[in-house]
Amino acid sequence: MAAVAATAAAKGNGGGGGRAGAGDASGTRKKKGPGPLATAYLVIYNVVMTAGWLVIAVGLVRAYLAKGSYHSLYYSIEKPLKFFQTGALLEILHCAIGIVPSSVVLTSFQVMSRVFLIWAVTHSVKESEDSVLLFVIAWTITEIIRYSFYTFSLLNHLPYLIKWARYTLFIVLYPMGVSGELLTIYAALPFVRQAGLYSISLPNKYNFSFDYYAFLILIMISYIPIFPQLYFHMIHQRRKILSHTEEHKKFE
Amino acid sequence: MKHYEVEPHATIAEIKNLFTKTHPQWYPARQSLRLDPKGKSLKDEDVLQKLPVGTTATLYFRDLGAQISWVTVFLTEYAGPLFIYLLFYFRVPFIYGHKYDFTSSRHTVVHLACICHSFHYIKRLLETLFVHRFSHGTMPLRNIFKNCTYYWGFAAWMAYYINHPLYTPPTYGAQQVKLALAIFVICQLGNFSIHMALRDLRPAGSKTRKIPYPTKNPFTWLFLLVSCPNYTYEVGSWIGFAIMTQCLPVALFSLVGFTQMTIWAKGKHRSYLKEFRDYPPLRMPIIPFLL
Repeated sequence: MAAVAATAAAKGNGGGGGRAGAGDASGTRKKKGPGPLATAYLVIYNVVMTAGWLVIAVGLVRAYLAKGSYHSLYYSIEKPLKFFQTGALLEILHCAIGIVPSSVVLTSFQVMSRVFLIWAVTHSVKESEDSVLLFVIAWTITEIIRYSFYTFSLLNHLPYLIKWARYTLFIVLYPMGVSGELLTIYAALPFVRQAGLYSISLPNKYNFSFDYYAFLILIMISYIPIFPQLYFHMIHQRRKILSHTEEHKKFE
Repeated sequence: MKHYEVEPHATIAEIKNLFTKTHPQWYPARQSLRLDPKGKSLKDEDVLQKLPVGTTATLYFRDLGAQISWVTVFLTEYAGPLFIYLLFYFRVPFIYGHKYDFTSSRHTVVHLACICHSFHYIKRLLETLFVHRFSHGTMPLRNIFKNCTYYWGFAAWMAYYINHPLYTPPTYGAQQVKLALAIFVICQLGNFSIHMALRDLRPAGSKTRKIPYPTKNPFTWLFLLVSCPNYTYEVGSWIGFAIMTQCLPVALFSLVGFTQMTIWAKGKHRSYLKEFRDYPPLRMPIIPFLL
């Protein structure tokens, strides 16, 4: 009886999915991008979004120069802010139909949290508008860079400056945005409590209750585990992507 | 790289045991062995000489992570809701205001709901112990945390409202409750019938798969129209319970459960279609004619 030698090569990697190789900057993998029609649409989408956030940026600057103070700058850009931030919901669709290779869940989470802040906090509680400027500025700069990054990437012509900006400015802008968001939610709390906003209490025929005040507090608490994870993920990405480019430059 | 000498008729299970001897931290259930690092896992029953290998076979190992037995997971995730619901039913202190401690609801439907909910989970526990025949022995350990959070969390949420001192009984009163109870009971019987039918398809200790067909039991006739009537009946039970209690959290729980079971049913349906050429074409995964 011939003995069969079985060789087992150990290649354990902690039970996780074997995702070898660097995750790319914008998440695009070299295998297959969107088709030409989808690419054209995405370029248009990203150009429009870049333009929209530029409008918001310009609007903020003009209003500041005209008024000379930070007060009520929000009102000067309220409409385009609502329009373009809400428009970002399309990005969830892009992931769902597969023309953008990001995760639907992650994108939904990111976009919904923005939309939530704009509509369910800032819009719903007028009194919270004073603290809004901090995150509006952070978002505006971030989005202008992000959408132009996508535009250039789709056209296969990404200037290093944009890549650098996307993976560096977040170091300041991300904490700034988060602070603004938390301050805004915090400012809204007393008014939510007082008005019983979006809350329903027992008894009622659906045997259901919801306390929006408690919900907002839970949201604030959730920033504690979530923000560091996302922040350090970006730092990790930065190290990978910017050093990768450095190496390429060395060999040129 | 480790070398083992085995007979050609050795099974993967035997090789896994050898591997465990030299790597005791990786018991067989957490080993995935494959011929190609990116390929599919080999089955325990596979025999070495029947695989596309020569006199030397190179197998690649992947650690599936800590494993826990299916039975353990099921028992834990079902015992929780049974116990937790009763905490709310008996109005144990610190849930509702102190003046309500250990008081009893004056609504009949609340008592009925407790009986139905408890019956449902007792049934599940007994089925896990005596009825189900599992294909897999184990699942990843992290599943138990995920699953228990889901079951225990929803049970607490539903139980809180149904047993609340300010609970509002159904709008259409006794009629609504009777109808809902009928739906619930029929679906519980149906679900149990399907579990028994599936059990009888598979001999003890085996992992064979066969197409399920209707039996003499009328509840199993749903097999004519769906691949997974157990899920159909399960959704039906929870809809019944939602109507009975007229409680929005119950409806939401039913919706989430329905979504998950639809995903499972579609997967099972697809497996059936792939494995059996003669699979009945009329059948849908979970809802007759529709889904």
